[in-house]
Amino acid sequence: MTTTAEVRNTDPRAQPLLKRRLTLSQRRNITGYLFISPFILGFLLWFLIPALIALYLTVHRWNLISAPQFVGLDNIEHLFNDPLLPQALKATFTYTIVAVPLGLLISFGLAMLLNNQLPGIGIFRTIFYLPSIIPAVASAALWAWIFNTEFGLMNVLIRSLGGPKVPWLQSPDWALPALIIMSLWSVGGSMIIFLAGLQGIPDIYYEAAEIDGAGRWKKLRHITLPMMSPVIFFNLIIGFINSFQVFVAGYLITDGGPTNATLFLVLYIYRTAFRSLNMGYAATVSWLLFFILMGLSFLVFRYIGNRVYYENPGE
Amino acid sequence: MSPKLSRRSFLRMAGASAAGLAAGAQLLPKVRVFAAPNGQEVVRISFAGWGQVAEQDGVVAAIEAFQAENPGIEVEWRHTPDTDFTTVFLSNIAAGTPPDTSFIASNNYETFRNQGLLLDITDYITNDPLLGQPDYFLPQEAQRSADDNGRWHGIGSTWVAPHIYYNAALFEEEGITPPGFTDDEIWDWDTFLAVAKQLTVDSNGLHPDDDGFDPDNIERWGVQYPFSNETYIAAAVFSNGGQMVNENGSALDSPEAMEAMQRMADLIYVHHVAPQSASLSSLGMSNTQMLDTGRLAMAVDGSWALSWINSSLLTVPIGTGALPKMTQPATHMQAHFHGALAATEHPDEAWQWLRFLATPFYTLQFMKIGLWLPSQTAQTTEEGLAEWITEGIHPDNYVDFVSEYLPNYGVAYRVPPGYVEAFTNFLNPAYEAIANGTPAVDVMPEAVRQANEVIAAAIAASS
Repeated sequence: MTTTAEVRNTDPRAQPLLKRRLTLSQRRNITGYLFISPFILGFLLWFLIPALIALYLTVHRWNLISAPQFVGLDNIEHLFNDPLLPQALKATFTYTIVAVPLGLLISFGLAMLLNNQLPGIGIFRTIFYLPSIIPAVASAALWAWIFNTEFGLMNVLIRSLGGPKVPWLQSPDWALPALIIMSLWSVGGSMIIFLAGLQGIPDIYYEAAEIDGAGRWKKLRHITLPMMSPVIFFNLIIGFINSFQVFVAGYLITDGGPTNATLFLVLYIYRTAFRSLNMGYAATVSWLLFFILMGLSFLVFRYIGNRVYYENPGE
Repeated sequence: MSPKLSRRSFLRMAGASAAGLAAGAQLLPKVRVFAAPNGQEVVRISFAGWGQVAEQDGVVAAIEAFQAENPGIEVEWRHTPDTDFTTVFLSNIAAGTPPDTSFIASNNYETFRNQGLLLDITDYITNDPLLGQPDYFLPQEAQRSADDNGRWHGIGSTWVAPHIYYNAALFEEEGITPPGFTDDEIWDWDTFLAVAKQLTVDSNGLHPDDDGFDPDNIERWGVQYPFSNETYIAAAVFSNGGQMVNENGSALDSPEAMEAMQRMADLIYVHHVAPQSASLSSLGMSNTQMLDTGRLAMAVDGSWALSWINSSLLTVPIGTGALPKMTQPATHMQAHFHGALAATEHPDEAWQWLRFLATPFYTLQFMKIGLWLPSQTAQTTEEGLAEWITEGIHPDNYVDFVSEYLPNYGVAYRVPPGYVEAFTNFLNPAYEAIANGTPAVDVMPEAVRQANEVIAAAIAASS
């Protein structure tokens, strides 16, 4: 672009010359860039520049108070002898490995149920979707009550069935399962995506299968699942990425405890930065998280992605 | 787009306003001196802090009073109504917009001091006709505010310390003499335990030592001695002759310290006189409501809680008494600091404000509502007490607590640099494990070893 020339050139007689120099497609490009500039600016300011600063910090020690000091590979070395990192990884992996498949199953099942044409189905769809638009903080407060050991709904239910009093949020063995159960409450988002996917499957396939004598299970196995595989795959990837970044529940309900049982990776990054005043190491763990997510996404694309059926592969 | 506003002039305007904004933002922090209507120059200083409604109101009132006394200084209150104040505070420092003065959490004080973040106010104090008097503050103040060389980088806002709150109606009903604060009224641990057992009742009306007692269905707990705040642990450790810190960092792996913590846990798991939950808020009721409804007979809580656990606000009369002594009477005194930042461009004005915060106007308003204990010696004398002891809030024997118990048995200590990290990552998880039933001797030695590595690194980084 020749904006410098434009700005300098204030002589009105020069205008036609400039008009000629900007072709239609150039002008269109400018308009295009203007329209996408909110994204570009956001990407630069809130992603790329912070990520690069984080990269710079991985080789520095910085407590936010004094200037960063170059420490070479100390932070990366510390990844291998940090006593808390294995626990943070374990909590995050366990959470992901259990919560994501369970969430997919439940949201898929709900979507199947809500795909029926019943009177008032819209109300049910709304009810099941509602939890996912409740602010995370509000639902965290709500679930802290549900998991209350003495008076919480969960224990009232369990004890009325003759079960024991489960110390949900007090016990290191139960806190993580409690947060996993809580995560299932907000499957509404993926449920809606599944529902949209289900409605995109033409009835003609099911009719043809019925004529061929296929039962419910066979229709599910040979029509619904293959046709839905791109949607399942999408929800899987998004689910993985989101659950690796889980923060609010661990921060608000358990504060990483008891005994670090719910010390999720992102919570650990936050603590390292603002309680341990170690920005450099926090940035290093952030980059570790990035590589974990990239690696996992690669594996999922490689080993699960090739089993996805695309109806119109050209698109 | 209208024909009058060409794309180019739009771009130019946008660019100019962005540049203007950026330039303005650059200028903002530097423009600090304003002219008052009468021509006098007004210096504006900022004050950062946290706090709920009471603290917020108190600070605002103090600012008004201070500005009326000092027309040349304007204080801008930067309030973060959240426990993660430090996150906001540090972000401001990293962004180059630190406040001039601030609340400093006691656990961060030494860390910030070692980093050179805080202004040395020793000379200001020494030269002050009021604050410079040798007995102006209670003796514990200097033990905590001054460093090894006697330099002060902040002044404790006040003191707070844990003690027992009890449902006085229940004690009267059971004919039990409650604990007090004078030497002959302080219970030893066995007496405390016996009373706690007597007051603990299951759904069949049985007590913990009775045959058939059902620990899963307790109607009323005798006591709650929580692990949820380190100050309760500190009080128990001091009472058992242990120390919280020594030259290596945490000293909680000593036999005395571990025994003290074990006694707290045994109240839950061995004697069944205390609820299991790490904190009562996760019980669905706070200790306050449980005391009020008779589901809890005694609660160990901080002195600050007197502002809501008191006879005016609850339906039952509330009494207070000293913590039981294990080998000696003790409680732990602490509070956040007020400090000025070394980077301030207005150290003299910042000092004036800090000084004001350490004078009766500011502290009395919190003392009257039961939130704070005195930090100034004059407030513990008979005349001084009359200025703030409030009927309906402070029980009759609170005078003993302030004028006898605290001076003799209150312990304050300096929290070493790096302690927040050591606490968050290692010590607190160990406390949680003990509160959850793991023996103290199984977790404390390793937790202390890891904590002290962190503390050693923090000390090395700053020296």
